[in-house]
Amino acid sequence: MIILEDVVKNYGSDVPALNGINLHIQKGEFVFIVGKSGSGKSTLIKLLLKELDPTSGEIFVNKKNLNKVTRKKLPFLRRDIGVVFQDFRLLPDRNVYDNIAFAMKVVEAPNRKIKSRVLAMLSMVGLLDKYKSFPNELSGGEQQRVAIARALVNRPAILLCDEPTGNLDPANSNAIMKILEQANKQGTTVLVVTHNMDIVAQMKKRTITMSDGKVISDREKGGYFYED
Amino acid sequence: MKIRSLMYHFKDGFKNIHRNRMFSLASIATITACIFIFGVIYSLFQNFEFMVKKAENEICVTVFFDEGLSDAQIKQIGDTISKREEVSSMHFTTAEEAWNNFKSEYFADFPELADGFQDDNPLANSASYEVYLNEASQQDALVSFIEGISGVRQVNRSEVAASGLESAARLIGYVAIIIIAILLAVSVFLITNTIVIGITVRKDEISIMKFIGATDSFVNAPFFIEGITIGIVGSIIPLGILWLMYSRIITYVLSKFSVLQNILVFLPEGEVFRVLAPVAIILGIGIGALGSTFAVRKHANV
Repeated sequence: MIILEDVVKNYGSDVPALNGINLHIQKGEFVFIVGKSGSGKSTLIKLLLKELDPTSGEIFVNKKNLNKVTRKKLPFLRRDIGVVFQDFRLLPDRNVYDNIAFAMKVVEAPNRKIKSRVLAMLSMVGLLDKYKSFPNELSGGEQQRVAIARALVNRPAILLCDEPTGNLDPANSNAIMKILEQANKQGTTVLVVTHNMDIVAQMKKRTITMSDGKVISDREKGGYFYED
Repeated sequence: MKIRSLMYHFKDGFKNIHRNRMFSLASIATITACIFIFGVIYSLFQNFEFMVKKAENEICVTVFFDEGLSDAQIKQIGDTISKREEVSSMHFTTAEEAWNNFKSEYFADFPELADGFQDDNPLANSASYEVYLNEASQQDALVSFIEGISGVRQVNRSEVAASGLESAARLIGYVAIIIIAILLAVSVFLITNTIVIGITVRKDEISIMKFIGATDSFVNAPFFIEGITIGIVGSIIPLGILWLMYSRIITYVLSKFSVLQNILVFLPEGEVFRVLAPVAIILGIGIGALGSTFAVRKHANV
């Protein structure tokens, strides 16, 4: 599903942000990517979204070589990838329903499909009763659940989550993880970039640790790898 | 693009206009000024051209022949002249017709004076061709050609008042082009800025749209609708004003300069607006589309 081969990303400084990354993530996997700030996690997410291009190396997402994806085809690549950010990035002038429906309108889905899918997603994230609420009327956990619903509503093959629990308390973090796990069980490949050691330890999923732009550990059943 | 998306874009485009209404109004006002001046100049130009054409159509060169030339020789001269490209039409006046015309013009009130000539035709050598030109400016060339034909005694030319009108129209045209070009640039600049504000306000939304997988055309469509709507409104307002003003101004000019009523012949408004209205609206749409393109190219690549 996701393959990185000798990927280097250099922003121009002496130390590359990513330094020869090789990674294989299978379809249906749930993977944590952990590491200190500046280890290259965010750069990795940006490369997978083709927000940035690698300095060298090749990236394949859903069998597509990102080096060969043109600007015109980029939107169609991104439709295979749902994204969840730490700061939720909801539209403040739209209610919960419209925030989720927005993702389907943008890809020009038919209206009846939008309605049924949005309601299904609201039910999945447990916010059916709050569909009319605006983001500023929701707690952080609820906002993140809306963001996950928006990311999943188009049924992407991959879900990328960049610090999805970064702004949440443990209870809300656990709730979010349960939703992500549920999405994974339904077949979505989930990639979670996080600092939250408790969650990584608790979930017991494949965990890739990065440091100074390199993969220093890739453990099948989780656990935070501490570099000494 | 699908119809339902189009509705969505229209809604978004109008929302943008409403959000930046002060800038939208400024853009509409500039386009209105630009197209109003364009309309005024166009109307003036069209009317000048109409008057010039009318004057030119009345310009003719009269050709007289040497004494004793046979009808066949005169006809041959006529054929030579008619082949010239400057000639729009020709009319042959026989000596008898010339005399009859003279009599009806000068002796109408005193026919007894003409009777004195009995059967003599004092204009026996005054058969002539009246040669009408396509354009007044071609008169010199045609006259010198006809003067060179053997058997031609004299060529009378028309006074060319039209050429004065023509050069005045040309001068107005040049000035207009400069003014319109400046106003066009200002209009495009203002529309660009108005749309850039809309893009800036919606930067987060655009960024989310792009992450979700919106195509560039989907993201940019509302901004094009915004620009084109501003352009259309900015072209309809001056067209309305010009329509209301046109006949009033003509009536005013004709009442003030009644002496020049023969020269000042104006086109009816329908004739002017048949071309002006679509051109002005296309111009408005063009300004809007161009402003949107600049704005989107520079700022919507989130």
